[in-house]
Amino acid sequence: MKRLVLFLVLITATAAELKLPMKDKSVRFAVIGDNGTGLPPQFEVAKEMIKDHGSFPFDFVIMMGDNIYGSQRPDDYKRKFEEPYQPLLDAGVKFYASLGNHDDPNQRLYKPFNMDGKRYYSFTKGNVEFFALDSNYMDAAQLDWLKKALSGSKATWKICYFHHPMYSHGSDHGADVDMRKEVEPLFLENHVNVVISGHEHSYERLKPQKGIAYFVLGNSGQLRPHNLKPSSETEKGFDTDQGFGLVEVTGNDMYFQVISRTGQTVDYVVLHADSSNLSSVEPSR
Amino acid sequence: MKRAQIALATLLVVVTAALAEDDFSKRLADYMKLRKTATSQVGMPKSATSMEVIKQREQNLAKEIRTARANAKKGDVFTTAIAGEFRRLLAVTMSGAEALAIRKSLKASSPVQPQALRVNWAYPERLPLQSTPPSLLLNLPPLPQGLQYRIVGHDLILLDSEANLIVDFISNAVPVT
Repeated sequence: MKRLVLFLVLITATAAELKLPMKDKSVRFAVIGDNGTGLPPQFEVAKEMIKDHGSFPFDFVIMMGDNIYGSQRPDDYKRKFEEPYQPLLDAGVKFYASLGNHDDPNQRLYKPFNMDGKRYYSFTKGNVEFFALDSNYMDAAQLDWLKKALSGSKATWKICYFHHPMYSHGSDHGADVDMRKEVEPLFLENHVNVVISGHEHSYERLKPQKGIAYFVLGNSGQLRPHNLKPSSETEKGFDTDQGFGLVEVTGNDMYFQVISRTGQTVDYVVLHADSSNLSSVEPSR
Repeated sequence: MKRAQIALATLLVVVTAALAEDDFSKRLADYMKLRKTATSQVGMPKSATSMEVIKQREQNLAKEIRTARANAKKGDVFTTAIAGEFRRLLAVTMSGAEALAIRKSLKASSPVQPQALRVNWAYPERLPLQSTPPSLLLNLPPLPQGLQYRIVGHDLILLDSEANLIVDFISNAVPVT
């Protein structure tokens, strides 16, 4: 009897209140970071994602790294990735990973991560081009590739994502200023609109920095409670529960909603790409 | 110091650096030749659905390289002269204009505590890989694809990332903050 009651509770549980406009032919995706613990909170976040996928059928998920923590044996990939997200994988949702400091570099060969054997790569969906970078090892070869890939992109939206944040107010790690020094000029020169990172086990949206919108989302499995020390650069922060992002891009608008493990909306923002491709931010609603 | 002495000292540094870098390139080329043979023995899948296949290939590649370098020891790639040149490059980089950014970057990237290291050992499975600051990488000789400079404690490792193998390392190469 207990089992039946639990089952009823699960199937009647409602998805988060989604604010995304669900426009025709929009690009829809989810964002997770620092997720691969294999512990209950990761499964709970995944469950919330699965519920929301019912009402907001996103096509793919971008991963900010630390995809698998600790042991990296084949069983870990089942417990820390395949099992929590199985219903999404079964529904054809693709995952596009970037590498974190806890990840085996050979994850690039793991087909479900869609890295095509590369540490860094790009892919296009509609009018959005994504650039998944390896912030663990930003060498000259990667910088050269990034420069060419960004300058050759014709996308309205250029989204770069990688593990270590260039701007962050997490008290455990903070911003990687050396990477910022090398990479930010390329972003500015090539009109990158949005940058998403992880590493900090919390969520932070920064005020646009030199016209680029920065998000840090590293709490889809891990959590460092009360770790965020917001500054005047912080627009929104959340460090008391795990969460993930849902994003919709349609034309020159991007809608970004962040949802907690328990289905609460943590943040919601609308970005606009203007003629020079730089984004302006509409206040949260 | 007189001007002529300064010029001579500078020239010596330049010549020593050039010789060390040239020797390093040759030693890397030798390793890559050996590695190419090892790779051809184990094959190279572009990707696999099962991590079991990927890990097996990684272990097979490491085994082939270990066999081919059965007598490898610390200093085979980073000879005394090459290690000296790397220490110089790291010291210069970490005391110059980029020093503060590099130190902040090292701090932000979850520093890895010192470990017992040995040539031909696997990089410890559960140990995170600390990111290597871009400014450091840009001031060190470039590496062929598949090899990486990594920092563990204050040691600089030459890591074969596909075989998860420590090719060589320099103890206490990274200046203490």
